[in-house]
Amino acid sequence: MHTFRKKYRVYASPCDPCPPMTRKTYETPPQLYMGFQPYGLPQYPPAEALCLGTLWPALYAPYQNPYKDKHGKGGGDA
Amino acid sequence: MKQTDEQYRDLLLEIQQVDFVIIELNLYLNTHPHDHAAIAQYNEYVQRSMQLKKNFEAIYGPLTSFGYSYSPIPWKWKDAPWPWQV
Repeated sequence: MHTFRKKYRVYASPCDPCPPMTRKTYETPPQLYMGFQPYGLPQYPPAEALCLGTLWPALYAPYQNPYKDKHGKGGGDA
Repeated sequence: MKQTDEQYRDLLLEIQQVDFVIIELNLYLNTHPHDHAAIAQYNEYVQRSMQLKKNFEAIYGPLTSFGYSYSPIPWKWKDAPWPWQV
């Protein structure tokens, strides 16, 4: 299945002194699902490509901080 | 050069955008050496990049040093800002 981020559950010891993280996530960017890149994919214009970090919309993979909640709080950055 | 020179930044940005397309196509062509359309596009952007850099250097002085760019008189490389400080 094509999702940018997948989750898995981890074991949490009852003796863990910290609040356990029960779910962890990892990135699954689009190139994992593409196989060999086909010829002639549609492209972004140069200005947009520079900002998005790829020339091809099919390979665009934004990074979302998994430690931020839906209100954009947390995650450790300022 | 004045700090507020908008054209300086615009021209640099355009070079950056064109060079990014070149990088992407370069990496793509490493694994797709027979994609003729992509090679044509690559060559087109290389030409554009060279023109943009030539134009930029004629106005603002060298973008690179050690033999890859010409310098006007007097020697201009030591003058800030360097392209990566913008």
